Amino acid sequence: MGRSMPELPELDPVIHGKLRLALMSLLAGVETADFSWLREKTGSTDGNLGAQLMKLEEAGYVHAKKRFVERKPQTTYRVTEKGRKALAEYVAALRKLLGGMID
Amino acid sequence: MNSEPSAAATPQDLNARLQLIEEMISEGRRSTQSWGWTFLLWGVAYYVAIFWAAWSVNPWSWPVNLFDGNHWAWPVTMFSTAVLTLVIGTRRNKGKPRLAIGRTISSIWFSIGISMLLLFPALSIAGRIDHHSFIAIVCAMLGVSNGACGMILRWPAELASACVWWCASIFACFGSEQQAVTVFLVAIFLCQFVFGAYAMLLEAREQRAHGAVHA
Repeated sequence: MGRSMPELPELDPVIHGKLRLALMSLLAGVETADFSWLREKTGSTDGNLGAQLMKLEEAGYVHAKKRFVERKPQTTYRVTEKGRKALAEYVAALRKLLGGMID
Repeated sequence: MNSEPSAAATPQDLNARLQLIEEMISEGRRSTQSWGWTFLLWGVAYYVAIFWAAWSVNPWSWPVNLFDGNHWAWPVTMFSTAVLTLVIGTRRNKGKPRLAIGRTISSIWFSIGISMLLLFPALSIAGRIDHHSFIAIVCAMLGVSNGACGMILRWPAELASACVWWCASIFACFGSEQQAVTVFLVAIFLCQFVFGAYAMLLEAREQRAHGAVHA
């Protein structure tokens, strides 16, 4: 009987997108961050950033809070518990996949 | 930046993602807020309060009289500097991320500030304060906040600043009034002006080195 192949984990498609992964990782290191800081750190356009943040918000990984600061709208983002768990699972799956590929 | 993954991920691609995660997490955690200026501002505030109070009694006497002159010198200077710190701090750090470590450090300074703003007027009204106890308590409290922040940030320069405050606090208990006031003025210069300028220099260097990290 041949040895069965180890089961490789699936990568979360919501997090796997490069910009979404960068956003999740940036937000994991802070309590809250606003849109302009995330744009500055990722170097992405407003449209693309807004769309990717919306996807993370829809998945329940990120929570957005809108408010007015000096009469200007400001949106701040934070990672939810679900998001932190998803990122940790993604990293674990990534490591397992890389281990599997090396083996 | 391409936001969608390729269908077949190569080991290089997966490794690049692991690196991206590490880089972005550390970028987020790296404190980008600048607070070095607060040390300079409060250093100026202490000197203004000391010399305002002294000026109203006898400007050329030594040691300077910290309380017997204008009773409004300390409360007005301290309260207006606290308001100024909040206003400038909010403006300067606008748009920067909020970090747990930043909240911890500001909580320490906020609590120490409230303690001083409550304790010293109460002691003054009760008439139970003199130069020795005032300098010893102020220096000890500033030693606590600088020491706690130095330990949290693992920053030897701020721990050294705490040591200067603690030494000044002990010295104020034993030295003469003239010596206590002199040590207090020197401690303010070292821990507010010299340390503040050093902190601002490091912050400027840090901002130049890590202005933007594009993912």
